[in-house]
Amino acid sequence: MTNRRRVILCVDDETNPLVLRKLVLEKAGYEVITARSGNEALQVTGSRPVDLVLSDYLMPGMTGAELAQHLKAKNPNLPVILISGVNDIPPGANVADAFLSKVEGPDALGKQIAAVFERNRGPQASSANC
Amino acid sequence: MPVNILMVDDQPGKLLSYEAILSPLGENLLKANSGRDALEMLLKTDIAVVLMDVSMPDIDGFQLADMIREHPRFQKTAIIFISAVHLTDVDRIKGYERGAVDYISVPVIPELLRAKVTVFAELYRKTQQLEKLNRELEERVAERTEELRESESQFRSLANSIPQLAWMANPDGSIFWYNQRWYDYTGTTFEQVKGWGWGLVHHPDHLQEVERKFRHCIKTGEPWEDTFPLRGADDNYRWFLSRALPIHDVNGKIVRWFGTNTDITERKLAEAALVKSERLAAMGRLAGIIAHEINNPLEAISNAFFLLRDHPSLDEEARYYSKLAEEELARVAHITKQTLSFYRESQQPVAVSLAEVLENVIELQSRKLQLSGITVEKRVYTRGVVQGYPVELKQVFLNLIANAIQAMPEGGRLRIRLGQSSDRRSGREGVRVSIYDTGTGILPEHAKRIFEPFFSTKDTKGTGLGLWISKGIVQKYEGTIRFRSIRNGHVRATCFSVFIPALSTAETPEVKAALVA
Repeated sequence: MTNRRRVILCVDDETNPLVLRKLVLEKAGYEVITARSGNEALQVTGSRPVDLVLSDYLMPGMTGAELAQHLKAKNPNLPVILISGVNDIPPGANVADAFLSKVEGPDALGKQIAAVFERNRGPQASSANC
Repeated sequence: MPVNILMVDDQPGKLLSYEAILSPLGENLLKANSGRDALEMLLKTDIAVVLMDVSMPDIDGFQLADMIREHPRFQKTAIIFISAVHLTDVDRIKGYERGAVDYISVPVIPELLRAKVTVFAELYRKTQQLEKLNRELEERVAERTEELRESESQFRSLANSIPQLAWMANPDGSIFWYNQRWYDYTGTTFEQVKGWGWGLVHHPDHLQEVERKFRHCIKTGEPWEDTFPLRGADDNYRWFLSRALPIHDVNGKIVRWFGTNTDITERKLAEAALVKSERLAAMGRLAGIIAHEINNPLEAISNAFFLLRDHPSLDEEARYYSKLAEEELARVAHITKQTLSFYRESQQPVAVSLAEVLENVIELQSRKLQLSGITVEKRVYTRGVVQGYPVELKQVFLNLIANAIQAMPEGGRLRIRLGQSSDRRSGREGVRVSIYDTGTGILPEHAKRIFEPFFSTKDTKGTGLGLWISKGIVQKYEGTIRFRSIRNGHVRATCFSVFIPALSTAETPEVKAALVA
């Protein structure tokens, strides 16, 4: 059986960046669903399975770091990557599996996501194989 | 207080009768029955009044009066003549001339005698009291003078021991006293700077304004405050914060001005350095904000171009435009990354690769290097990793390289060498950076001053603080910064050498991380 496409939940409060990031990830072969806020993201992960959450850090309401904390509390095995315009790793963000700068560009994004999936191979691999 | 009354008569009977008449007065009655006796008694005791018979066998009353008056002590002693013989006015006048103060004729009327003696006794008493009071007054004045002298000398010690320069001026503003520090600092004498002579030690650019403000306060009586440079005995200027307050008398009139000058040169230097570093910090914060704001749309645009890559609907020409745009965008991303990382100072010391620092700095200056026609040669023999703060280390080399570029407006060579080294003097191991340029060079007379704050050989821009700050930073790392400059006809070259001790230049994990960033 072929591996199903991995599902990435993409979270960002700004439309264009969110849309473009989704398209880039789809081009890389992932299935992408989106959420516009931390709260929405929590609702989505509560209602269906996702393989990775890629969230913007600076968002109104709940920051990406806070979202990462909530997600990890519910499911420590779910990889969370934070992406941001700032270059410093903000406080509280180290609960995430990786922290990316937006400046790095789409190629780096693809590589970083692949690397995180590679690291978390264990549980996912066994569940994906049928 | 009873006074002494001396009664002189050769007839004892008369003496007794005088005594009887005068005893109710309560004064001391002394008797003498000859001129000789009288003189003896006068010399022995303080006599207030002398009562004397004009005609006595051994000596003439007038003559006795003369003799008495000869003594300076008895100039004012009251002498009353008692005369049995009727005296003419001529005689009386003669008597007054001899110093008599009064006459009593025989037969003596007791009340009259008593009255006259009382008057002169009182006079004598009052005179004594006055003299006593006078003496006491003089004593008190002497005490006060001594107290004043004591307090003045205390004031002088105080005024000469405070670190400030101090002075006092008359109500019209002319200075009549300076403390010892003033003379020590300025190397002047009172003759040179008294009155309004202090202009002598002021900087010509500031003198006019200082004087204007001072005169204004003298006129209005309001406290004076001003900041200006004063020339020291070594001919260097230092900055002083100066103040003066008027001193009023009980009626509110200004009797004196008391002023001080406080050396604030160190503070001014610290402030200038602080302003500069705050500006750097502010730029850092601003850079952070801008970079962040730009990074968001930047990412979106990068993603869009990523999607356009190899898009089927694009023909060759369109793909070409898209590729160019993506390349330029990559440059923008690189610049924001550089800018942000350049100004971001870390909280803790981290492993800093000087090779990377130099590369960053050169890249930042790449445009200027190109425009000035300067060729850059890099000889990097080591990563040059030191423990420290990236931004301030960047500042040092940015300063040195910027100076080198400024020295070569018409072009030249900039050679940068980075290698392991040990300090000649301390023998410590570390990293050495040499920055060599073929620019205008440093004049020998400037050489000893270039690390001084506010010293600049550039006439337009430049705070003159760059090298002073750089040296301060290098010294913080216990490093050294030295230079050599050659100006020999056509051959001109300057080389700045910075040594920073480093425990080890091995490539540890921290080093690798620093390189990847």
